[in-house]
Amino acid sequence: MSSLGLLLIIAFSGAFITYFLGKISLKSRDFFAVFISSVCVAIIARLHNSYQKIVYFNFFDLPLTLRLDTLSWFFAIAIATVGALSIIFSLSYIKGRERTSFYYLMMLLTNAAMLGIVLSGDLVSFYVFWEIMSWSAFLLISYNRGPALAAGMKYIIMSVIGSCAMLIAVLSLYAAYGTLTICELVPFAASASSGYILFLLILFFIAFGIKNAVWPFHSWLPPAHSEAPSPFSAVLSGILVRMGMYGFLLVFFTIVGLKVFVGLGKTNFHYVLAWIGAINIVIPTFIAMLQNDSKRLLAWHGVGQGGYMILGVALGSSLGVAGGTFHIINHTSYIALLFLVVGAVEYRTNGIRDLNSLGGLIKKMPVTFIGALVGACGLIGVPLTNGFVSKWLIYKTLILDKHPFLAFAALLGTWGTILSLYKFLHNIFLGQLPEKYKDIKEAPFSMKFPIIIFSGIIILFGILPGIPLRVINAIGTSFGLKSLNVTIWGIASETGTLNTINIFTSLLAVGIIIWLISRFGRKTAAVNQDDNYAAGAYVPKDKYYYTVDFYNPLYRMITPYLRDFADEFYMRLARWGRSLCGKLRRIYTGDIGNYVMYIVLFLALLIAFKLWGRI
Amino acid sequence: MITGALVHWCSDALKIFVSPILAFIIGIFFLGLSRKIMARIHWRYGPPLLQPVIDIIKLFSQKGISHGGLFNLGIILSIAGCVVVILFIPFGWMCPLSASGGMLVILYMMLLAPLGMALSGGEAANPNISIGISRKLILSLAYEVPLLLILLAVMTYYNTISVVKIVPEQQNAGWSLFSLPLFLPGIAYILILPAILGKRPFEIVQASQEISSGPMAEYGGGFLALATIQHILNLFIGIALFVNLFLGGGSNPFTFFLKMLAVFVITVFINAVFPRLRIEQAVGYLWRWPTMLALIGLILVMIRCK
Repeated sequence: MSSLGLLLIIAFSGAFITYFLGKISLKSRDFFAVFISSVCVAIIARLHNSYQKIVYFNFFDLPLTLRLDTLSWFFAIAIATVGALSIIFSLSYIKGRERTSFYYLMMLLTNAAMLGIVLSGDLVSFYVFWEIMSWSAFLLISYNRGPALAAGMKYIIMSVIGSCAMLIAVLSLYAAYGTLTICELVPFAASASSGYILFLLILFFIAFGIKNAVWPFHSWLPPAHSEAPSPFSAVLSGILVRMGMYGFLLVFFTIVGLKVFVGLGKTNFHYVLAWIGAINIVIPTFIAMLQNDSKRLLAWHGVGQGGYMILGVALGSSLGVAGGTFHIINHTSYIALLFLVVGAVEYRTNGIRDLNSLGGLIKKMPVTFIGALVGACGLIGVPLTNGFVSKWLIYKTLILDKHPFLAFAALLGTWGTILSLYKFLHNIFLGQLPEKYKDIKEAPFSMKFPIIIFSGIIILFGILPGIPLRVINAIGTSFGLKSLNVTIWGIASETGTLNTINIFTSLLAVGIIIWLISRFGRKTAAVNQDDNYAAGAYVPKDKYYYTVDFYNPLYRMITPYLRDFADEFYMRLARWGRSLCGKLRRIYTGDIGNYVMYIVLFLALLIAFKLWGRI
Repeated sequence: MITGALVHWCSDALKIFVSPILAFIIGIFFLGLSRKIMARIHWRYGPPLLQPVIDIIKLFSQKGISHGGLFNLGIILSIAGCVVVILFIPFGWMCPLSASGGMLVILYMMLLAPLGMALSGGEAANPNISIGISRKLILSLAYEVPLLLILLAVMTYYNTISVVKIVPEQQNAGWSLFSLPLFLPGIAYILILPAILGKRPFEIVQASQEISSGPMAEYGGGFLALATIQHILNLFIGIALFVNLFLGGGSNPFTFFLKMLAVFVITVFINAVFPRLRIEQAVGYLWRWPTMLALIGLILVMIRCK
């Protein structure tokens, strides 16, 4: 038995064993869930550079295969790590709720299915694992019941539409070439007509775009992310949604191939895709600024950051693909971290997510705050966090390839991110601490641990981006892109070098010098939060906030332009469908006489049809 | 060979120390000068030129209050961010860290200064500070829109992301401010310069009559001195960037300084005569005229490059 098969068997059977252990003892179940998810991380880490391909089953004449290459290893390690850390976070988060064994089953099943997706070597296995992932995610999104049910329904309807598109594409590939193994499909792309390739690309774009929440298919994401349990929101936004990006990379660069993708005749498919990415950055990021629910704010950023990945990948240059791919893993680390932070706050404040009613928690939850700060810096792309390096790569390729308007959209998105993320930090952790949260405690260790690990990853990859960039460079060369001159501290090239170590050292040194200078002055006295200067005004306790409508003047200016047209359209479609069905239902009056009349009418119709048919 | 490398290394190390100190001295001179010019425009005598130096020394000797760890760290982060930006901006022939990332790093490091101030002020839990920060971030978003277009026009025109390469190009081919496609972005930069420097008519963030100095409200003693230093360095960055991108930089630090002085005096004149705008008015203005000019400039650059 090869290690790939073993990995999937462990992942899938582990999920079900965890469920049944939950019937016996909760403690052993928790331990086993953590154990299984850590074992997956260990196995994948050991598989680094041992690339392989195996046939595990023959389904009629279709061999079902598993395969591991650089791209799938890169995604697999991210999936396993996020999975393991979110399981650890769940230990206290989910404790004491109902149906916890079911929760663990679904969490582990989702992870296993995602591993299956990236390891599958043919499109049938890919599709099967994709469906397992979609449906277990649905069950987790609606885990909280109430509004979560509606969110889950919205998700699964769009997800099913995406799956249908994928199924059509897969079937047409099978009809055309008689094989669905990925490596056997590769040579066909070169000979296919550009119209057929475009047809395939559009179908796969719908399939993966819906999962990846690409505008205009994004509207399932904000409710789903905000209603799901927080550890699962981390998985969902961090990696599950990015399975769509994996699909894009797989289809664009492995199956269709770089040359065909970029040189797709007059259609300029990749250029249109880049503009969709740019729209995807700007509008959701500014909508995020208007949100008052902390998880919904992050969810909109999940949509917005997806735009950077698409923008990078769509350009098809070495730097762009490297930036886009790097941004996937960076996004995974910081958005997962931020969702876990929100989860920790939610856990301590009994489920408060409303940004307007929190505040001042930095004094009570310092570790969580540091996690939030690092995560926010990563999301903004402050230098020395990983988000900066990937964005730098994307901007650089945009500017040097002469796409200044796309670069403008991407840079503008960053400034929108700063505003909304500062609001996030300020309204939860800074400002006045309300009286009711006076006795709040720091999050328990099982929550702090994943937060610390993710923060460490963000800073490590920000200062030494060479570690992930080497793997990403290998992915790029496997797509047939020119190899980049990757060093441990960034990228060296003639048109502009990045040296993160220089930036880090200078910032650290300057910081220390300024700190020493500030020590020259007289010692400061520490005061509490009520001891504030208000220009002579009386300061009433507990009523002295500025959090609601944090950017009020800006909101008034931009809100009229920030309507979610796509969502409004879908909702109108849904309402229209419902009213149509409602009208159809009226024919069931419950009166026997009416039904007899229907039957007679139907018979009369048949006879009339028959008579006309004769004539 | 080895001695040559050593000399090279030493001069680099020296530049790293000298350029922030020089920036500080120039900035503090500008601050004193602006108070003097303002006073003369108001028909007053005005404080001595060295008044900001005296103030900083006095403030360091006074006792301040602290609201917690982030309150102390944020302001340090803010200054450190400014200093690192200065290391990336060429000053005449002095440019210690230019080879480590170019314009995009400058653009992103410029973000540390407002972020540090915002984090520091946020922990102070004073609503005046929160209002000030909210205004500061809105204003930065407002001027960042034209600024990004301007920088993109310049970077696209010279096809590089490195400031150091833009300066010699201008010394060969003339200042970008007077070259045809970059003329409009140059004008746009002048229009948004008061907003970048936080001067009137965009002195919305501090607005001492409305929100008791906004983000500065809780700073006292050493912290206020540090906040002043941050302001000084910010002054230097905003003007130095303009001189480098549009006025051909400087072949030596002295001509560079003279160009900076000329630009600064213009902003002081504007500062002296204009009243303060409201934040909506400021955003409306910045998103209208400078953005339009910068956008037209960028389109012209695109047409020229095609």
